[in-house]
Amino acid sequence: MILGLELFGMKDSSSGRTGVIAIFFQSVLFVGHLLDYLFWHHSAALNFFSDMISQGLQAEVMRSFFLLSSLLVSIIGHRYLCRKGLKSGEFHHLTMLATAGLMLLCQSNHFLMLFVALETVALCFYTLVAYNRDSAKSLEAGIKYLIFGALSSALLLFGIVLLYGVGANPEAWGASYPGHEFMDPLSFQYLGNLMSENPDNLMLRAGVVLILAGIAFKVGAAPFQIWVPDVYHGSPLPITAFLGVSSKAAGFFVLLNLVNGPFEGMSEFLLPLLGFVATFTIFFGNLAACAQRNVKRMLGLSGVAHAGYLLVAVMASMQFAGDDDRAIWVLFFYLFVYLLASFCVFGVMGLADLPDENEHEFSHYEDLAKKSPWAGFVLVSGIASLAGIPPFAGFIAKLLLISVAYEAKLYLSLTAMVIGVVISIYYYFGWMRAIALPRPASFEDVEDAPDPWAGLSKTGFMKVVLVLLTVASIVLGFWQGPFGDVF
Amino acid sequence: METVTPHHFMVLSSLLFGIGFLGVVIRRNLLVLLMSLELMLNGINVALVAFSRSGSNLDGSLFVFFIMTVAAAEVAVGLALLVALYKKRKSIFSEDINLLGN
Repeated sequence: MILGLELFGMKDSSSGRTGVIAIFFQSVLFVGHLLDYLFWHHSAALNFFSDMISQGLQAEVMRSFFLLSSLLVSIIGHRYLCRKGLKSGEFHHLTMLATAGLMLLCQSNHFLMLFVALETVALCFYTLVAYNRDSAKSLEAGIKYLIFGALSSALLLFGIVLLYGVGANPEAWGASYPGHEFMDPLSFQYLGNLMSENPDNLMLRAGVVLILAGIAFKVGAAPFQIWVPDVYHGSPLPITAFLGVSSKAAGFFVLLNLVNGPFEGMSEFLLPLLGFVATFTIFFGNLAACAQRNVKRMLGLSGVAHAGYLLVAVMASMQFAGDDDRAIWVLFFYLFVYLLASFCVFGVMGLADLPDENEHEFSHYEDLAKKSPWAGFVLVSGIASLAGIPPFAGFIAKLLLISVAYEAKLYLSLTAMVIGVVISIYYYFGWMRAIALPRPASFEDVEDAPDPWAGLSKTGFMKVVLVLLTVASIVLGFWQGPFGDVF
Repeated sequence: METVTPHHFMVLSSLLFGIGFLGVVIRRNLLVLLMSLELMLNGINVALVAFSRSGSNLDGSLFVFFIMTVAAAEVAVGLALLVALYKKRKSIFSEDINLLGN
């Protein structure tokens, strides 16, 4: 039903001349989805399309997450496109198409569905990253993303094929049939049974590792993170935010679904592997982010570090296997907080009028707090939430994550995470200092550059949205509502 | 008599996939890079059809059509980007495409 609405929405917006219709439509969709979710409790899991799609509470939460994020992307994008004089119809259309793909992705219960949804999302993102066709940087980011994305989907596919090969004819590969008459060798249930029957089969293990490698590419986890800084650097700002929030969240939800669904039988083999990846991701992301001067690259690499923290939560959810889904809710909470904080940061960055959109440097943010107190406050609170500084929601999210990891006895990853958080405060603080503290007097030499923040007063609607986001991330720091009840 | 088993197809498809992967890693021409990506996907298709036949299950053959469609769409986007990039930079070699970086 909601999917139908979404498809209808896409048809509607492509004819719309401005993004206002798109923004309005997406907010209606989001509110409708929330109401639907509040009033008709979809507690029972439902399956559609011969078990290709399954609907549950967790998928439902993630779907509202994607709707909220695409709404915010449209709002930021609307202003961005107007200022750059780019066409807006395709932008909103592709954003909504990507969101529809993401929503399908988190419901998929069959590898064919998973692949098709993933590619829908990926193709939209390739186009969106290269949306600013006049800029060689945007095109370059687009082609880099395309090559790495295609490579990752090829790895994922090869993994799926290995699983299918064993699933379709287990005896040929030295595996035993799961005691199951109904055979659909690509469905999650069948492969789950197969894997708990034969956790030591080499083909199955190779397949699982390849699938995880494909997903690690999408979330930007450690050995596969090389594309992250370049693509974040070159893509249009709203799309950087979209990539960093929605694409990553989708990757994590799929990962969560897989390791707690079909790959559950293999968790003994996967835990050390994921632990290594998580530790490496945290250290690489944080250390590389310290060396960046460019804000977009820095945010990309700090996103890599966040991916590492979230991987620890995924591991905790594997440790808690069974009915205890506490780690999963902590992961969702973290993702929501990350969404709020990221859009605060990217929203304010989108307001700056720089000659080259891709070259945000720390020096552009100097004295922002004095020039425009509200923008400075929103930006600082966003950064502080990302860094995990107490009054903001980011702190609580990190605390919950650490406590869950402690309960799951993941001490090594936990140590890596704490060290990572400490390193991350260093580079986040560098940025905050540039915004909040007055510039040292010795740098008064050249002042002919136009002030990037001159056009800040003409932004009523953005102001409201950004302040709302900030308030939300402060409120969540004190009151976690339904998420807090989990404890 | 020696027959062709799924294992033989597995070797063939891994070889194709591996050649494609090496191509993506080693080659510097972006067009060849896109071709190598196609080779990887075709290696996957070979394996899928063989597995589908050996397990007498049609899902694999069906999957191949999806992969072909997606690959076509991907290459269409890739070539479009490549043409646009060539207009800007007058080169399709990856060492000339180096605007992004520190």
